[in-house]
Amino acid sequence: MKENQLLLNLAPVNMADQHNDVAVKKHIAYFLHNLRMMPAAYTETETNRMTLAFFSLGSLSLLGKLEETVSLKDRTDWIEWIYAQQVHPDSQNPSASQHLCGFKGSPWAGHVFDPLATSTKSDPMDGASIPNTYTALANLLLLGDDLARVNKRAIIATLKSLQEDDGSFAPTYGSTERDVRFIFCACVISHILDDWSGIDVEKAVGFIRKSQSYEPAMGQTPGEEAHGKCLYCKADQPALTLMGKVNEGIIDKQGLIRWCLDRQTTGFHGRPNKDADTCYCFWIGGALENLNAFELVNTDNLRSFLMSTQTSRGGFGKDAESPPDVLHSYMGLATLSLMKESGLSEIDAALNIPIAGVHQLRKIHAQS
Amino acid sequence: MQDGHYASNPAWADVQPIPQDDGANPLVPIAYSREYSEAMDYFRAVSRTNEKSQRVLELTAHIIDMNPAHYTIWQYRQSLLDALKVDLEEELNFIDELAEDKAKNYQIWHHRQVVVEKLGDGSREIPFINQIIEEGSKNYHAWSYRQWVIQKFDLWKDELAYVEDNLRIDVRNNSAWNHRYFVVFSHPGHGVNQATIDREIEFAKKMIKIAPNNCSSWNYLLGVIRTTGYPVENLTPFLEDLKNGNIQSPYLLSTEIQVYEAVAKKENRSVDEKALEDISVSAGIAE
Repeated sequence: MKENQLLLNLAPVNMADQHNDVAVKKHIAYFLHNLRMMPAAYTETETNRMTLAFFSLGSLSLLGKLEETVSLKDRTDWIEWIYAQQVHPDSQNPSASQHLCGFKGSPWAGHVFDPLATSTKSDPMDGASIPNTYTALANLLLLGDDLARVNKRAIIATLKSLQEDDGSFAPTYGSTERDVRFIFCACVISHILDDWSGIDVEKAVGFIRKSQSYEPAMGQTPGEEAHGKCLYCKADQPALTLMGKVNEGIIDKQGLIRWCLDRQTTGFHGRPNKDADTCYCFWIGGALENLNAFELVNTDNLRSFLMSTQTSRGGFGKDAESPPDVLHSYMGLATLSLMKESGLSEIDAALNIPIAGVHQLRKIHAQS
Repeated sequence: MQDGHYASNPAWADVQPIPQDDGANPLVPIAYSREYSEAMDYFRAVSRTNEKSQRVLELTAHIIDMNPAHYTIWQYRQSLLDALKVDLEEELNFIDELAEDKAKNYQIWHHRQVVVEKLGDGSREIPFINQIIEEGSKNYHAWSYRQWVIQKFDLWKDELAYVEDNLRIDVRNNSAWNHRYFVVFSHPGHGVNQATIDREIEFAKKMIKIAPNNCSSWNYLLGVIRTTGYPVENLTPFLEDLKNGNIQSPYLLSTEIQVYEAVAKKENRSVDEKALEDISVSAGIAE
């Protein structure tokens, strides 16, 4: 017995090589580098820099190294940078700014950097966006901020103004894009701000129900093809449990779990008959976790897929052939965290926020 | 376009460029190319003064070529279409060209929808979409936009044939399967009758026989059954047939279990775990 145990303990160690371990040091260097300067290839995501920051800060947090590797000065400066992206009501023209409040993804529009502003001259071309408001709040929590300067009332009012009659949300003022993913972001924002008055929950649940396709999973909007990232954003706790509406929102839970599990080959793909991709390991894995069915995942296969996408310069690519990027790198680590990989800290799969950020949030909620 | 296209250009001499103000120690700054930074500096300036001119139309095209994901640049361009009375057919040509290598970008599709809506003419759309789908048969935006186009311009007539062409090329194209469901079950004024349901079920069965491990056709079969209330136990002879043909497919097994459970529920029987195990054994999956 003792001998067997010894063998079992030794076996993985003997088999381990660099490829089989999470390359913690390389990942840290990769994320620190990206926090300071993103390569030009990220130009296309310039309006979502807040979200790029979340992938790197979130990854360092999952690696348990955020405080250790980012100096207090940087953390303080970056909190200021985040607040400088906040859009406040325009004290001169409050009605013009009511759809614009929250956080922008970046200062691309060229307005003055002012983290201490309490009023923002309204510019309809430079409003906040729901996804970047979500990741800004998550970033503030990860950096240890107390959210004291977040204009909660203005954000909730803007959420309310961006919800459509059919229950869906526009991501930003004037956009006609509709996607269930924005409902998820609106729910997490409401949870963090502890105020649900910005969402008509019945309508949102109605939209989620309608987006469930014949498969039975979810498309971006009703009628569209079922897609893994949409599914995470609707099926799971963030959008539905946070609203307390899992049973009303999911038409066929067993079918949904089956659909999710069918997406696994080694890793997961986002739509039937597509190739496995690191980000869907988290979108689908996270959905399964939220459906209390993650234990049905073949984690050995999943881990070996993820390790094949880990690159020699740190970070993860979308598959074994791709160079790393911060989104897939975060998703790779988040999936390993769902699998309780040793050395990684937990992730709250409902909020998609590393646990250190959630602890900070609980502290803030307890004090308010 | 060359580096320094605007600063050294007399046509832009009247504009004072506005740089981005990113603070002293920014989070995730991007190492923009000089060409992009310069173009954006000029865009910031002319959008601040709300300039609507031909040179700004060209500036937006330059920026879009470098960054097609920039939502606001597109939005500004849309305001220019009206203000400058831009020939919308020309605008479609512009999008045709861009889409050649940027078809996975959402904004392009959205812009196209805006232009086509203004134009009120969808005659160029199906050939355009067909070409994109030919190059990327699972392009999510292309299929979504196709739904909008056929609804908007009542172009349902040839869609089923188009789906079948696509499935003939690749029976595993899930986007084509989803489109089939949309075409058959969402056509306004065309209520679904029993003959249609039977036709769809027979079609899915035929495709399953061609590729028994194709989850798309199984999902379609079970989806039609679930949404139309077709009795799932009617599948039993089909499943038996497959098994007798020595087909081993997890979807066959999973469907058999679903049939078994549905029948048990209908007859108010509790599910017999032993019988489920027998199904697994007979499907060659369990020992």
